[in-house]
Amino acid sequence: MSQGLDKLEHIVVLMMENRSFDHMLGGLSKKFPKINGLAGNETNPDSAGNLVKVSPDADWRGQLSHDPDHHFPGVDVQIYGGAPFSPGRAANMQGFVQSYGTQGPNVQDSHAIMKYFSPEKIPVLTTLATEYAVFNGWFSSIPGPTICNRAFAHYGTSFGNVDMNMFLVSDADRAKIPTIYERLAAGGHSAKLYYYDLPSSTMEIVNLIKDQSFFGVFSDFVADCKSGNLPQYSFVEPNYSDHPAPDGTQLPATDQHPDHHVLAGDNFIGKVYDCIRINPKLWQSTALLIVYDEHGGLYDHVVPPSCTPDGFHAPEAATGVPNLTFDFDRLGIRVPAVLVSPYIPRGTVVAGTEDPANERIFEHASIPATVSRHFLDGNDMGTPREQQAETFLDLLGDRLRPDNDCVFFPKAMKG
Amino acid sequence: MAIKDAPVVDIIEFDLKDAYNPDRPISSLIRTQLLHLHHAENLVVPQNKQTNVNINTLHTERQAGEYIERVTALLHKYGKKAAKKARPKKQPTKTAAKKAASKSKKKSAQKKRTSRKAGGK
Repeated sequence: MSQGLDKLEHIVVLMMENRSFDHMLGGLSKKFPKINGLAGNETNPDSAGNLVKVSPDADWRGQLSHDPDHHFPGVDVQIYGGAPFSPGRAANMQGFVQSYGTQGPNVQDSHAIMKYFSPEKIPVLTTLATEYAVFNGWFSSIPGPTICNRAFAHYGTSFGNVDMNMFLVSDADRAKIPTIYERLAAGGHSAKLYYYDLPSSTMEIVNLIKDQSFFGVFSDFVADCKSGNLPQYSFVEPNYSDHPAPDGTQLPATDQHPDHHVLAGDNFIGKVYDCIRINPKLWQSTALLIVYDEHGGLYDHVVPPSCTPDGFHAPEAATGVPNLTFDFDRLGIRVPAVLVSPYIPRGTVVAGTEDPANERIFEHASIPATVSRHFLDGNDMGTPREQQAETFLDLLGDRLRPDNDCVFFPKAMKG
Repeated sequence: MAIKDAPVVDIIEFDLKDAYNPDRPISSLIRTQLLHLHHAENLVVPQNKQTNVNINTLHTERQAGEYIERVTALLHKYGKKAAKKARPKKQPTKTAAKKAASKSKKKSAQKKRTSRKAGGK
């Protein structure tokens, strides 16, 4: 066991909303060639037959006039270029502009889906990605929307759901597939899900109904970091809406869901990092994973790989794709994922599908799998997807990087 | 060494006026959250404590936030009780069974309504 793993007492996961890997981090590959981002010549056809090239001029807000489609049928178009389902059809990532074009007022509008951020426009995320570890092969768990993807982070499955429907897990199913919070509690460990505040609430309403003791708000997270009382496992949700605080302060959404301001989210990532960073004991004993739930309909060039089926089947009526029953045997589109710890060497890039000899494929079931392996020795229950999922704590090495080698975002703490 | 020795990276400060718009129409994500909370409210919160808000009248993030705040607080208050109710009860004794039967008559209308709504996946 490495020193970093030996010292690890806390795992924190921050899950943001609806941005693809290439959209957020694709611009890094020019300076950091190991990062599997964009070469700059990737294209998608528009409805007029013109090829639309990726462009590094994504803006913080205002370009995505309507929420890009990221429901199952829309993502199917994005991955397969609009080809109807057939057993042998090939994924080509050629349908993003086509999909967005069905939603907007004109062809020109649909080109926005190919825009990506130049790294200096989102300094917190891109700094952390290059200062610690970035995953070339972290995919959303399902080629679909938020709720079913987030479920994989908590349960290691979505119980057969590929959509936004609320799934009320029966007591019998819950006994068979408990949340990672319940599993940790049963093993005598501490866990908490911190949502931002009451008006933002949580996307984990199913769990909120069942057991409120696992929940806290972001001000609790800040206080728990400061006092050294952070649970062993923490899951942090951003602010999902623009709303006033009780004292009238204007609180912008920090989730980065289009069309919320991306910088508000970037600064929020910095604040979460800083809360851990400024407590010396916590900093040396914590691993922070920053990951996005799904791609939000935004372009990514990497074909999602196949995966271990999780035993559920979504019928044609659920997938919305003619003749397609989904067996949960293919991952969703790639998302940004960054792991932070002072035990991770600067510039660590975890290979994905671009390097078949060394590839490691992660998805959201990797979260409960990692937490379980570290705190519960991996001996507790887990879904088939979780049991097969890659875990990521081996990235923590023996060398503790000194304070003067680990960045700090002092202005993020003030926000 | 301490945090003061850490290399400082500047964030980009943004214009709050440009970012903050609570009158923005809600996204499909927040619409989904409203639906889930509304369902949870009906499932968990006693009828006389419910908000009675028609969520179809909520169109902006500000409006949604106000409802979400109220219901989330109610779920924190009543969630555990609801969880306890859902657990299988021990076989009641004869005396307890009589009391339960008397209570169930009074609450029958409310129970029927709850059981219909509880049938989710």
